Amino acid sequence: MMPQSHPHFRRHSVLVRLAALTGVALLVLAASDVNAADDESSAPAPAASGQIRSIRKYAVPAVRLVRDDDKVVSLPDEMNDGRPIVLNFIFTTCSSFCPLMSSVFAEFERRLGADADKVHLMSISIDPEQDTPARLREYARRFHAGLEWQHYTGTQAASITAQRAFDVYRGGKMSHTAVTLMRAAPGKPWLRIEGFLTPDDLVRDYRELLAAR
Amino acid sequence: MSARRLPLAGLLAALALPGPATAVPADSVGRSIYLRGVLGSGAPLEGTREAGVVTTGADAACVNCHQRSGLGSVEGHLSIPPVTGEYLFHSRAQDASEPVLPYVESLHGNRDPYTDATLARAIRDGLDSQGRPLSYLMPRFALSDEDMAALVEYLKTLSVHRVPGVTDTVLHFATIVTPDADPLKRRGMLDVLEQFFVQKNLFPLKPSPRMLTSGKTQYSKSMYMANRHWQLHVWELTGPAASWRAQLDKHLAAEPVYAVLSGLAGSNWAPVHEFCEQNAIPCLFPNVEVPVIAERDFYSLYFSKGVLLEAQLIARTILGPDDHPAAGAVEQVYRAGDSGEPAAEALAAQLKEHGVTVHSTVLAAGAQGHKVTAALRRAALRKDARGQALVLWLRPADIAALGDVPAGAATVYLSGLMGGLEKTPLPAGWREHTLMTYPLDLPDRRGVRLDYPLGWFAFRHIPVVAEQVQTDTYLACSLLADVLNRMADNFARPYLIEQLQALLEHRLITGYYPHLTLASNQRFASKGGYVVHFRNPGGTALVAEGDWIVP
Repeated sequence: MMPQSHPHFRRHSVLVRLAALTGVALLVLAASDVNAADDESSAPAPAASGQIRSIRKYAVPAVRLVRDDDKVVSLPDEMNDGRPIVLNFIFTTCSSFCPLMSSVFAEFERRLGADADKVHLMSISIDPEQDTPARLREYARRFHAGLEWQHYTGTQAASITAQRAFDVYRGGKMSHTAVTLMRAAPGKPWLRIEGFLTPDDLVRDYRELLAAR
Repeated sequence: MSARRLPLAGLLAALALPGPATAVPADSVGRSIYLRGVLGSGAPLEGTREAGVVTTGADAACVNCHQRSGLGSVEGHLSIPPVTGEYLFHSRAQDASEPVLPYVESLHGNRDPYTDATLARAIRDGLDSQGRPLSYLMPRFALSDEDMAALVEYLKTLSVHRVPGVTDTVLHFATIVTPDADPLKRRGMLDVLEQFFVQKNLFPLKPSPRMLTSGKTQYSKSMYMANRHWQLHVWELTGPAASWRAQLDKHLAAEPVYAVLSGLAGSNWAPVHEFCEQNAIPCLFPNVEVPVIAERDFYSLYFSKGVLLEAQLIARTILGPDDHPAAGAVEQVYRAGDSGEPAAEALAAQLKEHGVTVHSTVLAAGAQGHKVTAALRRAALRKDARGQALVLWLRPADIAALGDVPAGAATVYLSGLMGGLEKTPLPAGWREHTLMTYPLDLPDRRGVRLDYPLGWFAFRHIPVVAEQVQTDTYLACSLLADVLNRMADNFARPYLIEQLQALLEHRLITGYYPHLTLASNQRFASKGGYVVHFRNPGGTALVAEGDWIVP
């Protein structure tokens, strides 16, 4: 593994920048600014490497989604209740890496222990017509999702609007990529992590993000 | 599915096939590990990823990522490699006489061939054939020697090249018509199929040379598919439904086909669905009102759930978003044996769960139209004090004979698919009371998606006699053509289904449907519909009651 691509090294540099830049409005860093090395897909990658971290400012769109308890909710309201947000985009019939991302969320909740109720985990479906609230509940049960983890669906248009707002829309669910986003508090920039995370990575990123708040 | 495989029919079909048999014992240990995540002992398979994420049982099964075909998949940046024996063990051919494997998009070709020992190491320790770590996504599985041997044996049998219905020069397809299918729709569908096949076969055919390694890379010449003649077999079933299965088995023995394309049914498609599942034959987008909803089946793909989707739309409308029923009692009218019967049963089951009383008025299959009116009057007498909804699962002839509006029917729900959509002959007096289910895009919105197929029909002088059936048939044919183009020379039947599931959402010309999507474990491509009312007492103008509803 090349030293400049060491995940810890990169995470540190990003979070230092994040800490330095907190409070600066409209700050957007391109992923390439903070990523020293990219992974060649032909070479088998070592465990959970190939992560790309960047700091982004996203405008949360005023879109209405349907939460897994059948309630129609506004995305900004769901995101602005004061808790830190950890967000991903999944679909329930995805059999490849969505289950991995969801397992990592579940393990993240477990490892936070008593701190888990201070965070809001959000998973938005990118296949909303298939993923009815009932299917989302079943999916959440499969991963033993706790009370602080909600799944969202809605119209096709609403899901795409949310995906575009967080720059994860790739033209269809089959072109999706693994992206995890987190934000310490309303108004703060987002930490965007592309690639697979281990539960350790996620816990560490989360704690560092809160520490930098 | 496997447990119900018919021994005799299956055996006969297998004997009729050219080339090596692909039979794997239906319940082999290797198969159950791969597909279900169940070990030889019956215990769940357990996979562990670095940093301690554990996955077990069906969630850990190989099929989730490597697919039933074993040929892997591509999602976003991620490519999950093929794990069939031929791709795992294929040498880095230097010898120009060696045949080349067909191109697979997700192939990770830059490695030595596996051996049984290095493959076991890959599965247990996550190292490739040259000792390099595999992706984090690939769990490590602590399999016993027996389970490992069974799994490796299974991988060697996956996706072997000989597929029934595929020869060096011909691809054989069947379309199936049941005896109760509408004759006009049958003619319209066959016109489209026959013309599509004629068109497909216009290109001059010459036997393509056997693909051999160029010496440069073993895959460089393998991206092309030999151009094959498409041959259509029309299997017309006769007699009672109980005899269809035997007829289908006989057809298949005489004319092995690669896939069943389109097709047409009256109210019953179940025997065909089961035939396809049990013989592992892809059954692509038949024109049916009552598809089979079976979550664990694999080989049948449908455009929608048809009248069963309409039943869900009506239930959703009656129950409302908060499951507070808008009607205290519901009266349904259908003809025995028609598509309305299973639809009415599905709706009744759903409404009864929420405490709604449901009555049914069943008309005998051959009863005259005026009996409908009489039945409706009787139904109206059962009017519940809390208000009643009337649900009509009727054909145009019965609808035209409805007569005056019966007193007391608060809201009438009409199946658009059965009743003729916006062209339904619903008498003027009924229209202001009637909501119609419309599990398709609305007429004024779908035009642009119909222009191409309708133009195609016009140029080929195909009379448009059943527009939806014909454009759906055209859509099924063109989806098949598109997907075969992507498959290079890899004809594994599960791969056809998997590729269709992956490709479908990128399709822009989707005919009657606003959009189509599938994925692994999805069989119904269009998932919602509108509830509409008529703008005027006459004419075909519709107004949607709200947005597209996905029940």
